Amino acid sequence: MKRYLFCLFIFYTTVSFAQNENYVKENYTKIDTTITMRDGIKLYTIIYVPKDSSQRYPILMQRTPYSVWPYGSSNYPPGIMPGKMMEEKYIYVKQDVRGRHMSEGINEEVTPYIPDKKSNKDVDESSDTYDTIEWLLKFLKNHNGRVGLWGISYPGFYATASLPGAHPAIKAVSPQAPVTDEFAGDDANHNGAFFLLDNFSFMEGYDRPRPGGTVIGYKWPLFSPTNYSDAYKFFLDMKTIKESNGSKYFNGKGKYWQEYLAHDTYDDYWRSRNIRQHLKNITIPTLVVGGWFDAEDLFGALNTYGAIEKQSPSNKNFLVMGPWTHGAWGAAEWKEFGTHQFGANVNQYFQDSIEAAFFKYYLKDKGNFSASEATMFETGTNQWRHFDQWPPVNTKATNFYLGSNNKLLHDKPIAAKSFSEYISDPAKPVPYTNGVYSDRNNEYMIEDQRFAATRPDVLVFQSDTLTEDMTIAGSIVADLFVSITGTDADFIVKLIDVLPEYEKDINNQPGKTMAGMQRLVRAEVMRGKFRNDLSKPIPFVPGKIAEVKFRLNDALHTFKKGHRVMIQVQSSWFPLIDRNPQKFVRIPEAKETDYQKAIIRIYHDASNSSNIILPVMK
Amino acid sequence: MLRKLFLLSFLFSFLFTTAQNDQDSLWVRENYTKKEIYISMRDGVKLFTAVYTPKDMSEKHPILMNRTPYSCAPYGADFSGRLLLSHWKYYCRENYIIVIQDVRGRWMSEGEFVDVRPFIKDKKTNNDIDEASDTYDAIDWLIKNLPNNNGNVGVFGISYPGFYSTMAAASGHPALKAVSPQAPVTEWFLGDDFHHNGAFFQMDGFSFYSGFGKPRPKPTTIGPSGFDFKVRDNYEFYLQAGTLKNLAKMMGDSIKFWKELYAHPNYDEWWKARNARNAMYNIKPAMLTVGGLFDAEDCYGAWNLYKAIEKQNPGIHNKLVMGPWSHGQWSGRDGTKMGNIQFGSNTALWYQNNIEIPFFNYYLKGKGTDPNLSEATIFFSGENQWHNLNQWPPANISNQPIYFQPNGNLSWNKPTASKSASEYISDPAHPVPYTEDVHFDRTAAYMDDDQRFASRRTDVLTFQTDVLNEDLTLAGPVVADLAVSITGTDADFVVKIIDVFPDDFSYPNSAAQQGRAGGGSYPMGGYQMLVRGEIMRGKFRNSFETPVPFTPNKIEKVKFDLPDVAHTFKKGHRLMIQIQSSWFPLADRNPQKFVNIYEADITDFQKATIRIHHDAANSSNIVLPVMK
Repeated sequence: MKRYLFCLFIFYTTVSFAQNENYVKENYTKIDTTITMRDGIKLYTIIYVPKDSSQRYPILMQRTPYSVWPYGSSNYPPGIMPGKMMEEKYIYVKQDVRGRHMSEGINEEVTPYIPDKKSNKDVDESSDTYDTIEWLLKFLKNHNGRVGLWGISYPGFYATASLPGAHPAIKAVSPQAPVTDEFAGDDANHNGAFFLLDNFSFMEGYDRPRPGGTVIGYKWPLFSPTNYSDAYKFFLDMKTIKESNGSKYFNGKGKYWQEYLAHDTYDDYWRSRNIRQHLKNITIPTLVVGGWFDAEDLFGALNTYGAIEKQSPSNKNFLVMGPWTHGAWGAAEWKEFGTHQFGANVNQYFQDSIEAAFFKYYLKDKGNFSASEATMFETGTNQWRHFDQWPPVNTKATNFYLGSNNKLLHDKPIAAKSFSEYISDPAKPVPYTNGVYSDRNNEYMIEDQRFAATRPDVLVFQSDTLTEDMTIAGSIVADLFVSITGTDADFIVKLIDVLPEYEKDINNQPGKTMAGMQRLVRAEVMRGKFRNDLSKPIPFVPGKIAEVKFRLNDALHTFKKGHRVMIQVQSSWFPLIDRNPQKFVRIPEAKETDYQKAIIRIYHDASNSSNIILPVMK
Repeated sequence: MLRKLFLLSFLFSFLFTTAQNDQDSLWVRENYTKKEIYISMRDGVKLFTAVYTPKDMSEKHPILMNRTPYSCAPYGADFSGRLLLSHWKYYCRENYIIVIQDVRGRWMSEGEFVDVRPFIKDKKTNNDIDEASDTYDAIDWLIKNLPNNNGNVGVFGISYPGFYSTMAAASGHPALKAVSPQAPVTEWFLGDDFHHNGAFFQMDGFSFYSGFGKPRPKPTTIGPSGFDFKVRDNYEFYLQAGTLKNLAKMMGDSIKFWKELYAHPNYDEWWKARNARNAMYNIKPAMLTVGGLFDAEDCYGAWNLYKAIEKQNPGIHNKLVMGPWSHGQWSGRDGTKMGNIQFGSNTALWYQNNIEIPFFNYYLKGKGTDPNLSEATIFFSGENQWHNLNQWPPANISNQPIYFQPNGNLSWNKPTASKSASEYISDPAHPVPYTEDVHFDRTAAYMDDDQRFASRRTDVLTFQTDVLNEDLTLAGPVVADLAVSITGTDADFVVKIIDVFPDDFSYPNSAAQQGRAGGGSYPMGGYQMLVRGEIMRGKFRNSFETPVPFTPNKIEKVKFDLPDVAHTFKKGHRLMIQIQSSWFPLADRNPQKFVNIYEADITDFQKATIRIHHDAANSSNIVLPVMK
């Protein structure tokens, strides 16, 4: 989700402008209406009906917390859905979800699903979707009785949320970068570590109250809008998470912010919001879409697909993962990102041959939908690959051991005692990106990590030069043996592709020297106290060796011959995530004095052999 | 010196091929003739000389000479780009006879080249030659042999040619009326190019000398090739190189000066003989020393050559100009900014038209009235104004210590705690980069770069004042006076004077600030502008001649000079000091063990804890030249 969602409007605008800025107005009739839910709450809904009434159309719906803009039946947007689908024509429905913008009711953060609804008061996104569809089928003419849902980011969650207890008219759903589990891996937290920069900058706008429960507009601003050019400094100066809720900022008035700070473990609040548990026995074709470089909901895409696959094994469940940032597949063109160049417009292939074809086939019985189970873009070689399951079967979990002298080795170390150490100082956290940025640098997921390697508080382990290509496909596991002088610590593990010295520059921008570049492939954080269980934080015993084992999101990447594999380990990633005080406390309550330096040791000896497990393709 | 200068002259020559330039070039080609000649020196050695003579015969013309180790190319009929496109073209418009000479032993000149050749005070025979005598002999021949010259000669040059300008001034030839040493190479152990306070500027040295230092057995028009670097990231290259011993191995053993350098790790007689200031007595011509406040190479030379001339020749016409420039930037077209910092006007063009050209016109052509230049024409960054001062440093400064305090504070009050220190671990395996981004060629702009990347490191200490409630102007030399203790037996100390901009600062008309990668201008809010940085190799703290080890954990004083500053910290800004113990790969790494670093092995390099004390008895401070 996040404010980048607003960029999506621009994407579709671009698409439609390329055709004709009046295309929507010329081809669709816009209806603004409200639809009453079973509990009497009215949801604001906009319906675009194709003017050509010679045929019946399926309904394609998007439910959003970000406004169905533009309001008023005479106000048309330049674009309403990806170009091919707009031409293909659907009855297009957009709805403000409960409690947002012009819809009545109270909004809940990723509304929990209620499996056993007892009364008309038991409402959730599934029931709201159901009630909306009932109304649409009843009152709209010219529909063919079928409904599809799609959405990117938070709307991706609402697409997923239509699946359990689905209305029988729903025939196709595409959750794209769906918000899925905000404690384990999406948006708000990764493995319990609080994504401070994104959360703050998003909630600063999103968490505006709607005074008096009216449906018109928001109180703006909740607090004096922040204006900083250097997020690192801004959040360092904030000193504590508690301060974010102080009088200068949320001041206890942000509904979601209050909830975020109140729920700092994987408690019932978060468990009830994990939509994955409800994706059982799904029989609606699903097309899950995500981006390898999505800083927000990469976890959601991979794990929504995985949960459906596991709990609804016979469902027609498809996965597409491309070389995209959050929602970038909606842009008209996507040929490069940072220093990655893809050679072709990967979006055209996706939009025309996968996304448009999927809805056309399942909602209109037209054409063919011949996509593989998993259509995955392989980074490193920059090509689409097709798999009949994800992760593919022909991989071998291969251990790469951290070693002394900055080595990354195939063989388990044999030394009786060996470790590398650094001092992690919350006063000088490791930046997540090089340079000064106000917003999150979207390229951090593929950024050259040399800026980090020069620091004394970042450990570097590097393989020999590869003598042949090595492709990894699937999830990555970090298995660290650590001791710390504090009682809590974060562990960030970064998997890096080290480009050879002969790599040519694609441009001469500062910081983009390709030769020797340490390009990030995948990174993840584990808040140490959650090492055994996200629900049950436990302190470390200072000086005692503990295992910290966690999963990084999947990758499909080829380390080419001549490259090296590098692992970096560090204990802060600022201000992407908040700083761990390195003392076992409730971090939202931590005082400035709780933040303390700690020595972090990563062991690499015979009995405590820290390693990374990579899914190497055979 | 350094190849940057090369780049500069070519850059300015060819980058801007505007219609005006085409017109200027055409005019010079049509109105000048070029001749190449050999001029014999007193010992019989012949120096190759290119002479550009105006066709105009309506009056006699002065000679403006540049002596260079970088070649008077192009050889043959073609004109040098400097005449056509740099600010030299204005001298052509004034019909100067322009002379460019390959110095002894370089390119097409005969003889043996000696780097920063020592000045011989008492020359006894015709074999006692130096750069002053070569200049003397060249001038003598030129005024006697060039048709239509008016008997007045001027010499100027930037960087290494600045050194030759200094030496020209020492020639004592009566026809030499005006000399302008610009960014003059002056002192290669204490502050210019190769060393700063004894710390070896390995990157500039290696990349420059691996080409420049190659032997040239006989005259040639073909330049040497440089080192074939396989690694395009200088931090990585020098880290991999590991030791200076290994760098020497890569350099090979044919490069004489490199070997000499290694043979003289301390400030011994050999170095002292190469201090250009030795020659600055009995100076007759009018002198105009020019330099850049942000010159990464010879900032020291400009300030200190001026001061030496002033001290050793009281009363002569000796003027100083310092602008907000990188190395040689004043000869180019754009002096409006350097790196991210803007100066509000085209300071280079202003200098050319208001200082340098009027200076030579007056002394060589008798044209115009005495330009009556101020003793010191100094640009104050921050305030972005030229100041005309009647002495440098100005009289109205007071040297005020500003003290380090606990919790990263900096204030005018002496600390009162009985025991207080800040510390960091300096790890030679992870030296502090001198600039933020991965790159290969040393940047010019590191001198005013944003230091936020350094503030974020655990091995950099930052101390800053409160927000200033009035402007604070510094004018003159800065002295770092640190009370330190270290766990090793040697360490480097880098002190950086930084102007912290207000959080809401932006330049007028700047593009939307950088939010995400790629777009917008650099975020200036909270910018930590390097105003002055300098390094001190700890073992030289008491004497550059005789290094002494530290006693581990014993508090010792490390006091050293930073080159002068001229900067206004505006109201609303803060003054910050950063301290770190490496500045890589600009300076080589200190092993943090007392050894001859040129002979150090990789195993000598060790981590050390560095403490900077700020208590009542050991109150580390920086003495600032505060202008009233």
